[in-house]
Amino acid sequence: MLPFTPEVFFAQFEDYNLAIWPAQIIAYALGLLALALAFRPTDSSGRIIGAILASLWLWNGVVYHWLTFATINFAAPLFAALFLVEALLLAWRLVIRGGVAFSFRNDGAGRAGAALMVLAIVIYPLFGALAGHGWPQAAMFGVAPGPTVIFTLGMLLLAEKRVPYGLIVIPLLWSLIGASAVWLLDAPEDVTLLLAGALALVLIARKNRHLS
Amino acid sequence: MSETKGFISALTRRTVLNGIATAGAVAATARLAPGLALAQPSSLLTRAIPATGERIPVVGMGSWITLNVGASKKLRDARVKVLQSFFDHGGGMVDSSPMYGSSEEVIGYCLERIANDQKLFSATKVWTVAQAMGIRQMKTSEKLWGEERFDLLQIHNLLDWEAHMETLKEWKAQKRVRYIGMTTSHGRRHNDLEAVIKSQPLDFVQFTYNILDREAEKRLLPLAADKGLAVIINRPFRRGQLFDLFKRHPLPEWAGEFDCANWSQFFLKFIVSHPAVTCAIPATSRVDHMDENMGALTGRLPDARTRQRMIAHVESL
Ligand SMILES: NC(=O)c1ccc[n+]([C@@H]2O[C@H](COP(=O)([O-])OP(=O)(O)OC[C@H]3O[C@@H](n4cnc5c(N)ncnc54)[C@H](OP(=O)(O)O)[C@@H]3O)[C@@H](O)[C@H]2O)c1
Repeated sequence: MLPFTPEVFFAQFEDYNLAIWPAQIIAYALGLLALALAFRPTDSSGRIIGAILASLWLWNGVVYHWLTFATINFAAPLFAALFLVEALLLAWRLVIRGGVAFSFRNDGAGRAGAALMVLAIVIYPLFGALAGHGWPQAAMFGVAPGPTVIFTLGMLLLAEKRVPYGLIVIPLLWSLIGASAVWLLDAPEDVTLLLAGALALVLIARKNRHLS
Repeated sequence: MSETKGFISALTRRTVLNGIATAGAVAATARLAPGLALAQPSSLLTRAIPATGERIPVVGMGSWITLNVGASKKLRDARVKVLQSFFDHGGGMVDSSPMYGSSEEVIGYCLERIANDQKLFSATKVWTVAQAMGIRQMKTSEKLWGEERFDLLQIHNLLDWEAHMETLKEWKAQKRVRYIGMTTSHGRRHNDLEAVIKSQPLDFVQFTYNILDREAEKRLLPLAADKGLAVIINRPFRRGQLFDLFKRHPLPEWAGEFDCANWSQFFLKFIVSHPAVTCAIPATSRVDHMDENMGALTGRLPDARTRQRMIAHVESL
């Protein structure tokens, strides 16, 4: 049982989107840059992609969950903590330790990863608009948890080496928590979170098995 | 908030003040204690808080979900109308908690914009661990509501109650709060609440009781009456489920015998006619629902036999 109604949730999203504008543009630019780097990798692209992912998770943890969502949901500080931990894990594993390259390959994991990223950037907000909460109520890539999680799972599928399982625990957990919005908030677009989580888990497990 | 303590000692509290007062009873009280009667709109159903004899309307309002509207001005202004209607109907107790997101802040926003809130009986809760955190939380609540002191501070769901009880007793002694209490909802915590009622100097207890969830009748309600505690009833509509279950059925004709015009009043009058209940706190986000609910604040109440008939009726549907 949520402590707020869907009406309140989307009204808050509207205020949030308007308050942070034009952060959405920056988030989209960062997402497209990460996608481009996965298609044209360079020596440092793994680290840059890691920094982009970590900063998006940090934003979602602090600005969305902690400063915004927590005003109507007593559970949001916990969500903020989860997103901060994931931001730290991404920064530590992909930026500080490094050595994880991302590149598109035309195989199952590669196609699924690219598809998930397109889903996060384009289809998820459109799906939301069709369901009745388009801009400014839309959950936009990079500044809203759902599409950020889907994008992250997609990108991890493009990792050239084994995907560290530690990096996917929180995204998978959120794909379950977030998917509850389908029923609790009347947000059918969040069914894609569940599908993305399931698909990523199966493909990452398969990919890791092949690479070990 | 009117202080009635001075009058109370002059009255035989049990006979005059306990039990529901209506126009007639208030008129009778008026002859004995004119100040007390003046404090009451003449036709409202009120009950006495056993600790002091102060009377409060038997229908208050809750704020879980319904007032948690965040910063949206549009939604806040809509809630101002709900609260306005509550006070227009003679409402008194508003119940909240730091657990309810922005509800306390929204109550403060509404109170700032409402002129006739003099009858407000402010009730909130402490919901955290550790005494120091509790003190900080209660001070924040005072600011959010814009209240210098609360009428009632309750420990929410018994969370770390030993720690907060120390503060509440101290604050009450310093007159920083008028009444102190403890809350829980349905089911499993009732035994714990019972133990606390027996051992602590509370003024109020709050728990769930409605026409389908009547477990409290067995022990909590009699115990509260025995201990002289005021009783607040939460989830009077079972979080709205009672309407989902019964509203498609017509209200029985005999509901008119105790002045019920709709299901909401039927459910509320069932609760507040229990002799141990002080008030019920239904929550709503809608003015039309508030109007319906506050209708239970006037007219006749069902007697014990009719209450049994009410139960039998809903259980047969
Ligand atoms: N442990 C605790 O301390 C504790 C636990 C539970 C509750 N509480 C307190 O008790 C209060 C009441 O409990 P609750 O809010 O859980 O449940 P409730 O009052 O039993 O039910 C609230 C629901 O009933 C609906 N409703 C209200 N009036 C209506 C009407 N006339 N016709 C149709 N629907 C109506 C409301 O929807 P609309 O908005 O559409 O009217 C809302 O969804 C809480 O708000 C809270 O303050 C305290």
